[in-house]
Amino acid sequence: MKQLSIIDLSGAVVVVALLALAPVLLNSNYFTGVLTVCVIYAIWAASWDFMSGLTGRENFGHSLFIGAGAYTAGFLATAWYANPWYSLPTAVVVAVAFSLIVGFPTLRLRGPYFALAMLSASAIMQRLCLIFWEYSGGEEGLYGLDPLIQSPLHYYWFVLAILVAAVAILTALAQSHWGLLLRAIRGDEATCQAAGINVTFYKIASLTISAAFAGLGGALYAHYQLQVSPPLFSVVVSITVIIMVYVGGIGSIYGPALGAIMLTLLTELLRSFGEYRLWVYTLTLMLILFFLPNGLIAPLWRRLTERFR
Amino acid sequence: MSAILEVKDLSKRFGGLTATKNVSFSLEPGELTGILGPNGAGKTTLFNLLTGFIAADTGSVLFEGQELRGLAPHKIVNRGVARTFQLTRPFLGMTVLENVVVACLSPRAREAHDKEARAQELLDQVGLGVKAREPVETLPYGDLRRLEIARALATKPDLLLLDEPFAGLGSSEIEPLAQLIKRLHREQKLTILLIEHKLREFMALVSRVIAIDFGEIIAIAPPAEIVRNPRVIEAYIGKTEAAHASA
Repeated sequence: MKQLSIIDLSGAVVVVALLALAPVLLNSNYFTGVLTVCVIYAIWAASWDFMSGLTGRENFGHSLFIGAGAYTAGFLATAWYANPWYSLPTAVVVAVAFSLIVGFPTLRLRGPYFALAMLSASAIMQRLCLIFWEYSGGEEGLYGLDPLIQSPLHYYWFVLAILVAAVAILTALAQSHWGLLLRAIRGDEATCQAAGINVTFYKIASLTISAAFAGLGGALYAHYQLQVSPPLFSVVVSITVIIMVYVGGIGSIYGPALGAIMLTLLTELLRSFGEYRLWVYTLTLMLILFFLPNGLIAPLWRRLTERFR
Repeated sequence: MSAILEVKDLSKRFGGLTATKNVSFSLEPGELTGILGPNGAGKTTLFNLLTGFIAADTGSVLFEGQELRGLAPHKIVNRGVARTFQLTRPFLGMTVLENVVVACLSPRAREAHDKEARAQELLDQVGLGVKAREPVETLPYGDLRRLEIARALATKPDLLLLDEPFAGLGSSEIEPLAQLIKRLHREQKLTILLIEHKLREFMALVSRVIAIDFGEIIAIAPPAEIVRNPRVIEAYIGKTEAAHASA
């Protein structure tokens, strides 16, 4: 299979080094916080890309797994006063359970069922959080979570390390035979079946992997905000992640991760535009997607490094 | 010798249309059989029923003594029944080699250690070896047919179903492809069932013909006899002309 080239590896090292050093150089707790959110979004975008980018089955409810992971951390902290480190593995398990519940009935089918089921499932969860407010805290959500790591800088590095691990694992899978099968499913399900491939199994399995990382990111987010609230399940979160993937370059894993970091930073940098911020942000997005329908980061990187390969 | 495939009373209706009606036939191991019939006679539907892409209403499909009806398409492939599609359906955005590697990853084929090497061997076998690294989009139609066959072979079939392998090909492409099918049949002892409505290519290739019209079997005979069968002539040329011809 395709081997990771020296140039890709050095590019990754430079980017990770820059990300790791940036908060040290800028030395601002505010900026460290912004970067932490950037990196968590990057985990979400990369995990979305692994399932939906490779198989072409768009997931319009990634926030289901994100929210499930975050609320798991919230419940563990507020109802059971558990050690915050239990949040991470538990969030993964819960998110995977959710992916199986939605994936089994809908991924057997072709067509838009899966996308719609994910969208509805996340919307339903958001409503349930409000309906069962005695347990979920309603609009205000759950708060009083303990941080995993006290120092914001050290927590940022921890989250960055998880992003690096996530991108490495997902990229390795995407470039393996497993990834080849997922791309084949994207191409033509009937041909896959004629090739003896259990299409449903691979779609569900890739969704559980995607959900595992999304849920992990959700728990990391909960322990950064130290609270969780219903908007984590919102469609806005899912759509934001999808936009990040498209800007980064769908199907490349690293592209969506960097796209997430870039767009989250962009939102912050545009704060100086005040009330025109959303205008500028939306216009930028439209220009990128109009002129670069395959995305910005991954295609650009491929073109820049073409001659060295 | 016992039959490798035994189809009994297979029927399928789509609303008011009977696509397949009480189809029964059997194939002996190593046989090269053809299914003949005019457009719309139900040949491809029959293939889809045999391979699980469409669920039959009634009847049974015994392959090596085991029931295939009700199994998912990928399970049938892993029992040893592979098919090609009339309209070739390659995985776009991949190389020719990767297209075959996908099939080498099916459970039945998985024991081969080096999937890429095996895919390369299969491509060599169908005459596409030199194009292995090329994007699949660059292949001409005739080569796509060969790719379909390589992908089917990758699943290690005992029975190979070819859906109109010659459709849309020029005469310069048909002859080498027919040679390939003959060679596979001879060298690998493959049982092959092939749909075609081009009579000439057909007759030279198969040892037995199952003629279908309106979803029903109207005759089973060697090629030389099938062309003289009145019901087959009627299905192909129409009743009045057939009457004139015999008059």
